[in-house]
Amino acid sequence: MGRPSEAAGMEALHQLKSTEPPQWLAPSASLSESARAASQHLFASLRPHVRKSPFDELLVDNFDAEQIWQQIDLLTQPLVRSIRRRVKHWEKNPAEIENLLPEVADGGKKVAQGKKMEEIDDDDDDDGGDMDMDDDDDDDDEEMDVDNDGEQDGGKDEGDESEEEEEEKSGGIEDKFLKIKELQEHLEDEEARHYGLDAKNKKSKKKSGSKKLEDEDDDSEEGEEDKEEDDDEDEEVDLFAGGDDEDEEDEMGNARYEDFFGKKKGGSEPKPRFKDELGEDSSSGEEEKEEELSSDDDDDEEEDDDENVNKKPKVLSTHEKEVQKIKSEIEKMEKANLDPKTWTMQGEVTAANRPKNSALEVDLDFEHNVRPVPVITEEVTQSLEEIIKKRIIEGQFDDIKRAPGLPSKAPRELKPVDENKSNKGLAEVYEEEFVQQTDPAAAPLSFSDEQKKEIIEDMSIQSNVPALAMEEIAPVAVSDAAMLAPEEVFSGKGNVKAEVELTQTERKRRRAKKKRKFKAVETKKMASKKAREDELRKQKEGTLLVVQVTHLCCQINVMLNQKL
Amino acid sequence: MEIDGVAPPVAEKPLFEPLKAHEMSDGKVQFRKVSVPPHRYTPLKKAWMEIYTPVYEQMKIDIRMNLKARKVELKTRVDTPDISNLQKCADFVHAFMMGFDVIDAVALLRMDELYVDSFEIKDVKTLKGEHKSRAIGRLSGKGGKTKFSIENATKTRIVLADEKIHILGSFRNIKIARDALCSLILGAPPGKVNSKLRQVTARSAELF
Repeated sequence: MGRPSEAAGMEALHQLKSTEPPQWLAPSASLSESARAASQHLFASLRPHVRKSPFDELLVDNFDAEQIWQQIDLLTQPLVRSIRRRVKHWEKNPAEIENLLPEVADGGKKVAQGKKMEEIDDDDDDDGGDMDMDDDDDDDDEEMDVDNDGEQDGGKDEGDESEEEEEEKSGGIEDKFLKIKELQEHLEDEEARHYGLDAKNKKSKKKSGSKKLEDEDDDSEEGEEDKEEDDDEDEEVDLFAGGDDEDEEDEMGNARYEDFFGKKKGGSEPKPRFKDELGEDSSSGEEEKEEELSSDDDDDEEEDDDENVNKKPKVLSTHEKEVQKIKSEIEKMEKANLDPKTWTMQGEVTAANRPKNSALEVDLDFEHNVRPVPVITEEVTQSLEEIIKKRIIEGQFDDIKRAPGLPSKAPRELKPVDENKSNKGLAEVYEEEFVQQTDPAAAPLSFSDEQKKEIIEDMSIQSNVPALAMEEIAPVAVSDAAMLAPEEVFSGKGNVKAEVELTQTERKRRRAKKKRKFKAVETKKMASKKAREDELRKQKEGTLLVVQVTHLCCQINVMLNQKL
Repeated sequence: MEIDGVAPPVAEKPLFEPLKAHEMSDGKVQFRKVSVPPHRYTPLKKAWMEIYTPVYEQMKIDIRMNLKARKVELKTRVDTPDISNLQKCADFVHAFMMGFDVIDAVALLRMDELYVDSFEIKDVKTLKGEHKSRAIGRLSGKGGKTKFSIENATKTRIVLADEKIHILGSFRNIKIARDALCSLILGAPPGKVNSKLRQVTARSAELF
């Protein structure tokens, strides 16, 4: 994309200006082309004033209106902010405008232009979001850009002046923004202004101021004495082409640490750097110059404040020292209280809750429930033996005596309850009881002779029933002790021997005895038998005889009868 | 002696003899009838004279046996001294019918404080079949041992009539005997009951 020459650009601008408003209603290619050319020209003309723009030229070919607008917006936003600030500043201090104008007329443009960038950059970066572009049309932007150009020219001059003033202000301060020498010069300038000195003096001071501006920026982080800083702050505020306090306050919201102090070097440098270090700072400051120049004068104020804070710890009164000491101690104690207690201060601590072998290092105190082992010495043994000997001689041994039994009541006399049927009738029983109660003398003795006799007379019949039979009936409370004793059962006498035990002679004797018995029994039997048989025979015979006799008699009778 | 203003001599306070039973009931005769269970019929016949004599002679109560109705009838006489005699005789006869011996029942006639307490085994514990038989066996013991021991220890007379148990004696003794019998029914061994009885009798002997 070839950049159109300035002339072409100007032509395009003029062309656009000349077109009548109704022509804008309908889209025309020629108009758009000329518009693009004009915007490019304007962009190019503005570009040098803006430091941070990403575009060197406005890209127009085949770009959307929106895209072109975005590019312009990027460029012009910061510009507009700075211009607005400037305008507000001038509203408050109209006198400055007059001062600027003659500079421009004198042709201090060169210097002004040289400082344009710096000035603009300073202004632009510090502007806050308050300066928002509300225009959406490219045309409007162009117009604005045109206006901005005009304004910027004026503003640049103002900025140059203020820059110079800045440089002229207090020097010798560690802070980037502030130096004592520059301050002094600034003070003088102010006085000159108020009393209407020539611009020449100012010019001459500009140059010197430019050098010192760098130093100012370099030493922004370093602090100085309070008074100078305070004065400087007040005057710097007035002179620094940054705007009013209001603007400053608004703008401070967007300011960052880096704006003031540059990128952190791994730790702030609160220590006060004296003039010796100025040289160093100035050399390094050249690099940061461009960055720092963009920062606004208002930042210096804050840096001064920071300087004040850093300065205080250096010189403390005794009271303050004591207070600090106490504070640190308090902090220590509070921290100790918040932390968990050491294991020795806790209550019950098991081995798991304390570090290894920690109990060895601590003096532990605990009760020993065990008596210490007695040390046996010769003296101890001797004393013991003496005691033993003495006791033996006395005969006093610590024998355990049986404790006396507890005194108890005499055991009740338990009458044996008679298990037999009582012979007395119930009436007699009660009668006796009554008599006993009323007249003990008349009552018979409890165990009289009669009763004794009675007891003796009572005899129980004992049958020699085999124990098994008894047990079957009443297995509980029966013993065969009541049964007949063996000697009562056995009827034999003498030494009884079993057949196996007998000797030969004894066996023979037994056999002979048996035989005799047997024989005796047999003879008896036989005798009785005989007797019976004889009787029978006799009877028989008798009967026979009788029968014979009777038969004979019958025969005789018969014979007699016949004979008769 | 002439005394003016003297009231006529007051009649002596009449002395009445105590009312006889007969008069107390306005001349009416009182009856008691005691039925005879069949198993006591023969023993009644055997012991009739022993029953009759004290009732008629000493208590002055007419007594007769109604064979048809199988009842013993008691009737007050004119010369019955006390109205309670009739009741005593009735109790006496009734005790005999329960199963007590005449000798023991006669004590009812002679002492006022004797009572007869009856209860059944099922009142104490519901037992069936063999358990009941065994309970009865436990009550009497071998040869009546346990029963006699209770009788002797508590000065009571006990009749075990199958299901029913009758105890004759004084109030306190009846209680002791009943406790012993109940413990036997519930299953206590006789030895335990005996030991308890002994303790009780010893204690009661100490009291008097």
